[in-house]
Amino acid sequence: MIDRLSGQLERYLDLLSARQKLVASNIANADTPGYHTQDIDFQSEFQNAATGTPNVLEVAGLAMKNDGNNVSLDRESRLLAENALRFNAATGLLRSQISSVRAAIKEGQGS
Amino acid sequence: MSLFSALSVGASGMAAQRARAELLVENMANAETTRTPEGGPYRRKDVVFESGSVESPFSSVFHSQLDAPVGVTVSDVITDASEPERRYMPGHPDADKDGYVAFPKMNPAEDMVDLMGSARTYEANVAAIGAVKDMIQRSIDLLH
Amino acid sequence: MPAAISPISAPTLPSAIRPAGESPAGSGFQDIFSSAVAQVESMSQRASATVASFLSGEGEDLHTVALATQQADLAFEMFQQVRNKVVSAYQEILKMQM
Repeated sequence: MIDRLSGQLERYLDLLSARQKLVASNIANADTPGYHTQDIDFQSEFQNAATGTPNVLEVAGLAMKNDGNNVSLDRESRLLAENALRFNAATGLLRSQISSVRAAIKEGQGS
Repeated sequence: MSLFSALSVGASGMAAQRARAELLVENMANAETTRTPEGGPYRRKDVVFESGSVESPFSSVFHSQLDAPVGVTVSDVITDASEPERRYMPGHPDADKDGYVAFPKMNPAEDMVDLMGSARTYEANVAAIGAVKDMIQRSIDLLH
Repeated sequence: MPAAISPISAPTLPSAIRPAGESPAGSGFQDIFSSAVAQVESMSQRASATVASFLSGEGEDLHTVALATQQADLAFEMFQQVRNKVVSAYQEILKMQM
């Protein structure tokens, strides 16, 4: 039942969840002096098949305002939407996997 | 690592921007106020934001940075302490012995821009809460 | 979904009816049974742990809880199928003996 695909999908959900939490913090602190945008390295966390809490890092290459804040609402809004959509897709895939397995079990019932 | 804490974070962002907007509006409304209960003209007020942990009522233990939700609070309200603007208006009821009236030191254009920025960030926080709520709902849907 | 599965002792086959060539200890219905029970038990415990963690506010993700409980449910449903098949196969064999 716990095939590799659903294990990967669960990890995908974990990472999207973590990422979205950081996006929420970035948006809340869009005007906080000295606050730096935070994120995770999604690709490497996912591909390394690591477990546990991902590493939080500061994002490089963002424009710094006078008060030391480098949050870009454009970037965060884009990520917000993207993470939510990907989460939606992954939970959809998992739901259909679960249904399939359940149907396969039930089918074995009659024979 | 629960998404519920992100809801508290978004709420803190909304609250902070509202406080900021209220002060900006108060500044703009009092741009010409020469007389206040404390004496003297109105003095411009500013919020100071500080990032910090916002506890969700359901959370109990923080294991890592991702578990301690980082929101924002208004750590201080700063009242402008600089010298008010003096205009020569001898007939004015608040004029001093030299005929000068003290007016609030204002920058209405800057306040207007700040107000628009505050509204934009407020909306972004609202969107964040909506997106997180949607993700939590999808998780609930996994149970069916 | 039951909170805990009480161990079920698999029906032991009389040695006379075991097919020749099969090792006396190990393979057969008993093994399938034990492994299914063990799997159900461990998934059920894991699911309960995630629920408890979620409820106590320790920051367990809701999707983790949902997936753990679904997996436990599926394991149990699978186990039911295996048990039914094992029991009916055993009964078939008994009938043949008569």
